[in-house]
Amino acid sequence: MTTDNKALIQVRNLKKHYNYGKLKALDGVNIDINKGDVMVVIGPSGSGKSTFLRSLNLLEEPTDGSIIFDGQEIVDSKINLDAFRQRMGMVFQHFNLFPHKTILENLTLAPQIVKKAGKEETEKRALELLDRVGLKDRANAYPVQLSGGQKQRVAIVRALCMNPEVMLFDEPTSALDPEMVGEVLEVMKELAKAGMTMICVTHEMGFAREVGNRVVFMADGNIIEEGTPEDIFDHPKSARLKDFLGKVLEA
Amino acid sequence: MTISWSNITKLLNYSNMFQQGLIVTVLLALCTVFFGFFLAFGLALMLLSDVRPLRHLEKIKTDDMERKKRLDFIARFNPVKFIASAYVQFVRCTPMLVQIFLVYYIVFGYVTLPKFTFLGFIQFERFFPAAVALALNSGGYMSAVIRGGIEGVDGGQTEAARSLGMSKGQTMFHIILPQAVKNILPAVANEFVTIIKESSVCYTIGVQDIMFNVKSVQSATFIIAEPLLMATFLYFCLCYPTSKIIEHVERRMRQSDNR
Ligand SMILES: Nc1ncnc2c1ncn2[C@@H]1O[C@H](COP(=O)(O)OP(=O)(O)OP(=O)(O)O)[C@@H](O)[C@H]1O
Ligand SMILES: [Mg+2]
Repeated sequence: MTTDNKALIQVRNLKKHYNYGKLKALDGVNIDINKGDVMVVIGPSGSGKSTFLRSLNLLEEPTDGSIIFDGQEIVDSKINLDAFRQRMGMVFQHFNLFPHKTILENLTLAPQIVKKAGKEETEKRALELLDRVGLKDRANAYPVQLSGGQKQRVAIVRALCMNPEVMLFDEPTSALDPEMVGEVLEVMKELAKAGMTMICVTHEMGFAREVGNRVVFMADGNIIEEGTPEDIFDHPKSARLKDFLGKVLEA
Repeated sequence: MTISWSNITKLLNYSNMFQQGLIVTVLLALCTVFFGFFLAFGLALMLLSDVRPLRHLEKIKTDDMERKKRLDFIARFNPVKFIASAYVQFVRCTPMLVQIFLVYYIVFGYVTLPKFTFLGFIQFERFFPAAVALALNSGGYMSAVIRGGIEGVDGGQTEAARSLGMSKGQTMFHIILPQAVKNILPAVANEFVTIIKESSVCYTIGVQDIMFNVKSVQSATFIIAEPLLMATFLYFCLCYPTSKIIEHVERRMRQSDNR
């Protein structure tokens, strides 16, 4: 169990190398993520944001380093990965809903086959959550029948149906038409308010400022600067960050 | 050699034989595709497996890059995949006729099959080895198709499933295979058409398919050309409508994707 003074996730010297070190997607990342944190990760393209996020639930196997989740080492350890992954929900840029299943089936499949929860119980919970994101009436539709924004809201609910302790978001609004970005950010905001521990890679600086309690700036596979939204956006220290903010904020 | 109308009318006396040949050919192709499919599916899973008994070698830390590359190379070795790909290469790089002879004269030279006829005229002890040989061959070819169909499913699907805590097996069964079927089924149906044609070499081991009956009619009547034309006609009538139907179904399936 967690001791109170320890962070929920401790990342130490995390490395992910490709091609025998010629390409260092992650090059020694250190960070602590506490329970209830809403951590926003920003940085230029190719800086390793996705790789970092995907390493946290071991979709990507790190080359070196350590990740301690809730007091347990998960890199290169004998823990049951499938059991561990249930505790960490993930939302992808391209939704990745299961196209051959209805919305309701998308939401209940994993709880039923992974947690062996009953049909009635899982459907009740799924409909409850769907209602909260305003999509209860689409329960029997298929993913192709939904708009991008609706799909992403369903994808968030799908992860929530497993009752995760942490939610990872990899550019959840980047594939959306501009008019649909708001509805997805709104759901994420609600989630943050409810106290969910969240790590979000996003280019939505407004969201980062308003909802995040911490902002991490990555470049070249490393965390260059880290702090509160005010620290990062109003008082950037490093030249890289100033340069990045200049480019992003003028756009 | 001339083709004459009177010869063709003479062949009508033998229509019974052509009919039996037709039934044998279709039955042979059906058995082949059915059993070949299961073999192919097993081979495809083997080709996609991640069994690496020496994977711990990857973890050895060394600054010697050459040594590291060598270790990684050995760590990648997958005996299950190796066996499957060796089998597929054997099937692809040896002639079908040779494979049939190998199975009939060597494998079933040791195993004695019960001698009986079914459906009144099909000799089991010839039909069975032919079906086995064709299935072994067809399974090798189809494994590539099934593997491609599985790999063709968007990688994001696997990631989403695994991130929800599903195991590899659950992901394959609930997420990947239902989507891969759409890619695979048309190819399997096309394999049926291919086997109808390729099974024509089975007359060499005495399976009474269309070609076998052509030979019989030729030697009984001394008419050479017309029985061949008859066979050509039969094969075409089997294959053309079947492939048209497959095309049609395939198009319909693709349209339903965009519902
Ligand atoms: N499978 C892979 N093989 C080789 N290189 C890879 C692989 N995956 C990622 N990389 C490289 O690792 C680096 C970091 O990639 P990553 O996707 O984490 O960046 P990112 O910060 O998420 O960028 P973006 O904002 O474009 O999504 C990039 O240079 C990328 O090309
Ligand atoms: Mg990315």
